[in-house]
Amino acid sequence: MFFQTSANRRDVLRMLAACMADWWLPRRVFAQRREIRRPDRKVIVVTFGGGVRYEDTLAREGWVNIPHLATELVPQGLVYPVARYEGLTGHFNSTGALVTGSRQNVDAYGSEAPVTPTIFELLRKEHGLPPEEAWVIATNKSFGLMGGSKLRAFGDPYSANVILPKQLLIETIKSAVSTEAGPGVEDRQALAEQMMLALDEGYEGFGWRVFESGRALGKDLKATLARSLLDYFNDPTVPTSGDELTFFMTKEIMNRLAPSLLVVNFWDIDIAHYGAYSLYLEAIRRTDRLVHELWQHVQSLPRYRDRTTLLVVPELGRDSDVAGNGFANHRSGDDSCRRVWLVALGAGVPRGAGTERPIRTFDVAPTVAEILGFKMPECEGKPLAELAF
Amino acid sequence: MQFDAKLTGEAAALAGAHDALLRRLPATVHAFLLVDLQKWSALFPAEQRYQRALLEHLSQTPADGLSRLAGGIARVETDAALTRISERDPVRFQDQAQAALRKQNLVTAWRREVDLFFQQIDPALDARLYPPDAPRRVVLQLYGDGIAVQPDKLWSRFRASGTRIPLRLDGVKNSGHYLRALLGGGANAGETGGSLFGALRNDTGFAPTDAWIIESHAALHDLMQKETAAARPPTGLSYERLLPYRDSLMRALFSKIQSGVDSPQAFAAYARSLNLTPEPGVLLNPTEVVQTFVRDVLLTGNGTLFVNNTFVEWAAAQALRRAQPRVLVARYGVRDKLKPFSSLLLFSQPRTSDVIPLIEDPVGSFIDVEQLAYYVWVHAEKSAAYRKRTLYLFLAENVPEMLAIRSDVPGVIRPPADAVSLADVTATIAQWLGVRAAQGTGTPIAPLVA
Repeated sequence: MFFQTSANRRDVLRMLAACMADWWLPRRVFAQRREIRRPDRKVIVVTFGGGVRYEDTLAREGWVNIPHLATELVPQGLVYPVARYEGLTGHFNSTGALVTGSRQNVDAYGSEAPVTPTIFELLRKEHGLPPEEAWVIATNKSFGLMGGSKLRAFGDPYSANVILPKQLLIETIKSAVSTEAGPGVEDRQALAEQMMLALDEGYEGFGWRVFESGRALGKDLKATLARSLLDYFNDPTVPTSGDELTFFMTKEIMNRLAPSLLVVNFWDIDIAHYGAYSLYLEAIRRTDRLVHELWQHVQSLPRYRDRTTLLVVPELGRDSDVAGNGFANHRSGDDSCRRVWLVALGAGVPRGAGTERPIRTFDVAPTVAEILGFKMPECEGKPLAELAF
Repeated sequence: MQFDAKLTGEAAALAGAHDALLRRLPATVHAFLLVDLQKWSALFPAEQRYQRALLEHLSQTPADGLSRLAGGIARVETDAALTRISERDPVRFQDQAQAALRKQNLVTAWRREVDLFFQQIDPALDARLYPPDAPRRVVLQLYGDGIAVQPDKLWSRFRASGTRIPLRLDGVKNSGHYLRALLGGGANAGETGGSLFGALRNDTGFAPTDAWIIESHAALHDLMQKETAAARPPTGLSYERLLPYRDSLMRALFSKIQSGVDSPQAFAAYARSLNLTPEPGVLLNPTEVVQTFVRDVLLTGNGTLFVNNTFVEWAAAQALRRAQPRVLVARYGVRDKLKPFSSLLLFSQPRTSDVIPLIEDPVGSFIDVEQLAYYVWVHAEKSAAYRKRTLYLFLAENVPEMLAIRSDVPGVIRPPADAVSLADVTATIAQWLGVRAAQGTGTPIAPLVA
C-alpha cells in the first residue's frame, strides 16, 4: 500500500483538509476580509449522537465506558447527572430540540427543517455574523437541514454551515468509481454498491435520504479528493469510524475559521441498532476519547483557550432492557430513552461541581444564547443558572 | 368506520361473526384487527388462537364496558380528527391515521391509550389461552465454539436467578461432539439413541413449528439433516445458510434505494412486497408462514441482515412472541469484525491480490451474546406462554458448566451434588416437556424437574 504509516496518513488528511477547505470556505471570505464583531466567548456543543443510556455512561457502572469524561473532564467542570429529553425520541427531533430550545415534531429522517429558530440563526442575525461563524458538523447524514429553521424571517441567510463529512466521502468515492481512472479495482459497479451499503448507514433502516444543504463539490476538487480518499481508504490501518472523520473536520474548521459556535454530532454510537452491544460500547468509548481530544485541541488554540465553553450531552437515551429491544432502539418512549446528562467545561463553568437539579436538553439553546450574548425568543428551555454568563 | 378489508376464508368468517363488535371499536383498533386478519395465512397457530380469543373476549364484553375500555383511544382519535379520513383500506387508513397523529403530536397519547386498552384485557386473554395446565416449554441458548467466553463474567446477568450446574464432558472433544451429545443422541457420529428432536418428532403433540432451531452458523442444521431426512423436521433458521437469500434481499433493497425512495414508510411497503424466498434446502420446515417470518425478521429487525447474532436474537424473540414454540434452541457464534474503510475496495469479486480475509471478533462476540441471550430471556418472560412454565438453559460449548432457570421457581435452586452429563441435560428437557426419551439415555437432573 502507498500510505502505510501514520505520518503518511496525516499527510493525506492534510491534503484532504486543504482540498475540502477550498470548497467549504465561501470565496468572499478571502475576497472581502470585512471587519467582523465576533462574540468574546465561544461555544462548542458536542452530542453523543445516536443516544446512550445513563447506565452505560454516567452511572457508576458505566464509567468504564467514559473514562476520559468520568476521571478527567468532569472534575474540571460541572456535571448535571439528571437531565431529560422530553420530545419525540428520534435523532433529528432530539438534536433539533437541542439547537432550538423547543421540542420539534418534524420528519424524523431530516426532510424538514426545525420549526423554531435555531441558535445559529439567532446568533448570526443579531450579531450580523457571516456563515463561517456557526457550524454543524455531523456524522448523521440526515442532519443536512439542522443548520436553520423553516421560518421566513430566518432560514438560509442566517443558517449555520452544515457539513456531513461521511456523506462527502460517499459522494467523492461514487464519483471516483464512475470513471476509468478510478481506484484500480476490477468491478467498479460492485465497488459502488459495496461502498453505498457499508457507508450508507441509516442504522434504523434503509431508505434514508440526504437532504442537501445547497453546496456542490467542484469538478477539479472532486477528482483530487477522489484520489486522496481512495489512497486513504487503501490503508488497512485507517480508522473505520465516521466520527473520527467528523473529529478531523471539526479540528480543521477550528484551525482555519475559529467559529464562535460549533455543534458537533458524533454518531457512531447508533451502530447500536445493529444489535451488537460490544460495538455500541466501543463507539461510546471512542466518543469519550474524541471529546477529550477535542478539549485538548481547544486548549492548544489561542483563539479558543480560556474563552470556550464546551457542553457535552447525549441527544437522547436508548430503551431500557425491558422495553423494546433494549440498547438497540430508542423508540419506546420509556424513561431510559429520555434520561440523559450534561457536562459543561471551560469558560464560565465552576470546576469540580455537580448539581442534582433536574434539567432538560431544551436548556442547552438558551444557555448558548446567554454565553454568546444573543436574545433567545420564548422557548421551552431556561439557561443553566449555575454557569457564569 | 366501514372498512373494505377484502378478507377470505377463515379470516372473513371470523370478521363476519364479530362484525358488530368491530364496528363499535375505535377506528384504529378496528383497522389493526382487520390488518392482522388480512395476514391470516401468514400467522402461526398461536397467533390465530390469540386473534380468535381477542375477538371473542371483546364480543362478550358488555357495551358500556367496551366503551370504557376503548374510551381513551376514541378520545385521542377525536382530538386528531381521524374521522375525517375516508380511506376504506385498513392498511392505508393506518398509514394516514399515524401521519395525522404524528402531525398533531398525539402519537404518544395514542400509544399510551392503546397500551392501557391491552393492559386491561390481557389478563383475561392470558387466562383463557394459557391455563395452569398449559404445556411446559424450554428455551435453550447455546454459545458456540470460538466465542471468547470469560468465565468470571459468564451469565452474570442471571446471578440472582440462575443455578449453575457443573457439566461432565466425558468424550466431548470438540463442538461437533458437544452438539451431538446434547441434541443428536450421543457424542459419536454413529449413536442415534436419545436424540431430543427425534423424541419430539415421535410425539404426536408436537408440530414442526413447536420446535425451533435458530443459529448463527449451520452446525445444528447439519446435525438435524444428518440425523434424519424424515418428515416433520423442526423449524430451522440458519443465518449462514440464508446468505444467498440475504444477498438477494440486499440487492433488491439497494436497487430500490438507487432508483429513489419517497419515504421510509414507502420503502417499508416496498420491502414487504418483495416476493423473494430462500432456496430449497435452506430452511428446515420451509412452509409459507416460515418463509414470510424469515423475510420479516430480516427486513424489520435492525441489523439482522448484517450481524449473525443479532439475527439469532431477533428471530428468537419474534418466534417466542409469534409462534410460541415449546422448544427453542438458539445458538450464537462468532461474528466478523466490521470491515474497515479500506476493505470497502475489496468487494465481492476482488482480485486475488486484493483479498483481505474476514477477521473474527470472538471477544466482542462474547459481550454481544451475553446481552442478546439476556434479551431472549426477557422477551420470553414477557409472554404468558412462557412465564412460570419454562425451563431456561444456558450452555457454552467447551465450558464445563451450565446455567438453569426454572421460571416456576423464583431464585436460585439447589444444584445437584455431582456434575451431570449432556445426556442428562437432554433427559431433563424431555422430562420437563413430558416427552418420552429413548431408552439408555441420561438421567433427568432432579432439582430441575422435581
